[in-house]
Amino acid sequence: MALRVPFSVQNLVPHLRWAAPLGVVVLASVLGNHFGLGLGLLTIAGGVLCGSIWLIWSSLQGLSGDAPLTLEEAISMGAPSSEEEQKRAVLRALKDLEYERAVGKINEADYANLAEHYRSEAKRLLRAVDETLAPERERAEQILAERLAARDAAEAPEGTGASTDSAEDSNRAGSRANGADPDESSEPAVAKRPSSGAAP
Amino acid sequence: MLGSVPVLWESLPEFGTGVLYAVLVAAAYTFAVSVAAGRGRPRLLQSARLGAYGTTALVLLGVLLLAYAFITHDFRIRYVARYSDRSMTTTYLFTSLWGGQDGSLLWWLFLLSLYIAACVRWLEGKYRLLQPYVIATLMVIVGFFAVLMLYSANPFETSMAGARVDGDGLNPLLRNYYMIIHPPSLYTGFVGCSIPFAFAIAALVTGRLDSEWIVAVRKWMLFAWMFLSLGNVLGMKWAYEELGWGGYWAWDPVENAACLPWFTATAYVHSTMIQERRNTLKVWNVFLICMTFFLTIFGTFLTRSGMISSVHSFAQSDIGTYFAGFMGFIVAVCGGLIVWRLPLLKSQGRIEAVLSREAAFVVNNWALLGGCTFIALATTWPLVTEFFQGQQATVGPPFYNRWMTPIGICILALMGAAPLFGWRKTSNLSLKRAFRNPTLVMLGVLILHLIFGTSLGFPAVVLDPPTYNGAVGWVVQRLAAIAPLITVALVSFNFAVVFQEFQRGVSARRRNSSEGLVEALFTLVRKSRRRYGGYIVHVGIGLMYLGFCGKAWELEKEASLLPQESAEVGGYKLTYKGSRREVDQEKQMIFADMDVEKGGRTLPQVHPAKFIYNESNMGPTTEVSQLNTLRDDLYVVVGTIDVESKRATFRIHVNPLVAFIWIGVMILLSGAAVSLWPDVSLREVGAWSYARAAAGVTSGVMFALIMASSPAAAVESARDHLKREAATLRAPERPLAAAAFASVPPGDWSGSGVSILGGLLIGAAVAWSGSRREGSGPRSDHG
Repeated sequence: MALRVPFSVQNLVPHLRWAAPLGVVVLASVLGNHFGLGLGLLTIAGGVLCGSIWLIWSSLQGLSGDAPLTLEEAISMGAPSSEEEQKRAVLRALKDLEYERAVGKINEADYANLAEHYRSEAKRLLRAVDETLAPERERAEQILAERLAARDAAEAPEGTGASTDSAEDSNRAGSRANGADPDESSEPAVAKRPSSGAAP
Repeated sequence: MLGSVPVLWESLPEFGTGVLYAVLVAAAYTFAVSVAAGRGRPRLLQSARLGAYGTTALVLLGVLLLAYAFITHDFRIRYVARYSDRSMTTTYLFTSLWGGQDGSLLWWLFLLSLYIAACVRWLEGKYRLLQPYVIATLMVIVGFFAVLMLYSANPFETSMAGARVDGDGLNPLLRNYYMIIHPPSLYTGFVGCSIPFAFAIAALVTGRLDSEWIVAVRKWMLFAWMFLSLGNVLGMKWAYEELGWGGYWAWDPVENAACLPWFTATAYVHSTMIQERRNTLKVWNVFLICMTFFLTIFGTFLTRSGMISSVHSFAQSDIGTYFAGFMGFIVAVCGGLIVWRLPLLKSQGRIEAVLSREAAFVVNNWALLGGCTFIALATTWPLVTEFFQGQQATVGPPFYNRWMTPIGICILALMGAAPLFGWRKTSNLSLKRAFRNPTLVMLGVLILHLIFGTSLGFPAVVLDPPTYNGAVGWVVQRLAAIAPLITVALVSFNFAVVFQEFQRGVSARRRNSSEGLVEALFTLVRKSRRRYGGYIVHVGIGLMYLGFCGKAWELEKEASLLPQESAEVGGYKLTYKGSRREVDQEKQMIFADMDVEKGGRTLPQVHPAKFIYNESNMGPTTEVSQLNTLRDDLYVVVGTIDVESKRATFRIHVNPLVAFIWIGVMILLSGAAVSLWPDVSLREVGAWSYARAAAGVTSGVMFALIMASSPAAAVESARDHLKREAATLRAPERPLAAAAFASVPPGDWSGSGVSILGGLLIGAAVAWSGSRREGSGPRSDHG
């Protein structure tokens, strides 16, 4: 049974990331002014020691799988493909080409030739990006639909299970159509807020 | 709590050593987790990131403990006893952190940790496939320095003889303002090269060798390059103001080692543009980044191994073996990875025309690499000759000056010409139009210099005695003779090119819009920050070349004077008024006062001096006195002063155009700031991220500008401070704030705070005005 944390403490945790270091600095300043620079340094050192222990412990928690995947992690898993980076490079090159034409460093014939080359390259890359991302996009939509259906089922009162079941059935049907196993929970739980193990 | 402080104090050395072990363990753990995250377990990436932060925190803990040991005069620790004493002010106690080898290695590790924390924070949500290997590579570097400190240069090692009553104190040559700013700025540049290196390794390991990683590292490398430039120039300023030999660059082995990575980094920031646009020179760029990092380690190796004696060298120790091993490891890993990935590194584009910017950049790269190779060879020449001939042969400043001058002139010429070429190819007509006006300006300046140079005191041709005999000596002598003429002409060519580029860009904008001149200029720079920031950097470098060129016209005179006798040099008339003696807590000071006149005008007095430190076994140190103008510096050094007869010997230098070096670096920093400014739109990242990024750039650059500009003020302030302290008892212990800030010019400490606060305010203001301009309020972002 999950331990229910009071709402106010739960809200306090994310603020500790900046409040705790600030508090240590303030305390060190006060102590240093009253008792000497040495004690101020020791106070900061103590705070840093606590911080390093907390960071290493949070890192170890991630190893054991205790910390849920954060929203940032989930989003960052969609790393840009090399085609996307090449596309950006080609667009940059086009921008430079326009500049050089405007300041007269390149004649119209060369400009037309190069612009056509870069534009076709950009079109090719855009097509490649779309082709790469399309199945991922569909999969993401399907996972989202399943999650929403599961959440609705959990929140719906008893007696409305039929409608929930039908929603899940439709999702399963969609999954089978895409060739995926709808019962395979390959994606970890996604937490909206970073856990205590998140980086300061 | 206060009662436990003595207990902690007793175990401080052991605890500090324990922290270093913890750093090593944390780095190893983070390395393992990162590699696992990169090899199919992406969930572990967050653990790796937290491990990196934790490692950073542990290094910071080590630095704080060492600082505590200095502040509390814990002379049980060998390093503290060697580099501090009870008479030192709090500021110099802190600067002693990097005053010796052991502490400077910890300081290096600390700066590396700060970079790692910043990089990991910046990487959040980006370059997901590269991230694990970036972190892993950085942890290897951390691990190396941790091993180095634990087994060869432990800053927490205790003395065999136990605690001493007092320490040796800092070398008098290091008791000056530059000790506070030069090593940190140079180390910031050195250490910053680790980030691009980590990205290069990550790209090689993952095989993602397109422009993705190049774009990622561009600004990191530029930031490191900026601090390499600043650090080297601050070293020049230090040598000029403190060492008293009349110059700013002696081609000392450690000076040379510090500038080697600057050459390769400069080559990289140019050639990376070729890869971004043309998808070529991939192997070259990877090589440049690896070489830049290698040279930072190589420079540290040269400094610390003592293999080549230098005024900077620390005592010869066994850490040279560790560095040699690490350099071998770097070469093996980089070489192996490059060879493995050669098929992927094959260029997909090619350089199609000689008259193209790509070709100009390649030639420029060769010139920069040529200069780097020449300096590296000449610096290590004693080792080479010892290996082959059994005895060391050294080369001195005349050799460097002779051969670096034509290399430098080539680089200056290419710096001006390259922006005039277009990418891919430039038509003959475009080329003629582009070169016409700058060439006319250059020819005009050249003719004016020939006609009026001598009468203005800057003759166009300066014939020095030949360095070598025979035909080679004759050719070299003639080339050196016309070097000032060519340099001044090429500097004017560069200025004209930059002006033309701005003018053409503004005109093009105004043709297509209704913008006014200022608005068009501002928008032009805003939309092409890298290009125009680079042009501003070129202006700064051009001014620095002008400053270097002034060496051709320097004058020097030695004079032995009794009071009321005068000496004249370079239009200055110096009259020796007499000597006076002052004392303070740590030294005796003997000043020689001189009145100065020029062209019948009375100028401020100069007061060259000798300082004799009570605690030091060194002889008297030389304190230079200067009068600085844009045209020249009057630089006076006193040799000996006979206390009875009052006769004093002086060496008087007139050094033309030196001020342009310092002005040039300020402009260089400004140009780098423009290039570094975040180029994402407000809409993409949100107001808070934009303000944060902008504040980071602004505060970093403002801090650099303040460091660059404050030495002059610091010298004056320090002299006033010395005069007030002279012949007075030491003031009683002051509260924390006053004690910490006492001996440093107030402007610098408050300037540091101003720079950070100013950076935040500027960044926030730009973000807010940007949000109003784009018609949307600030929104929260997930970054």
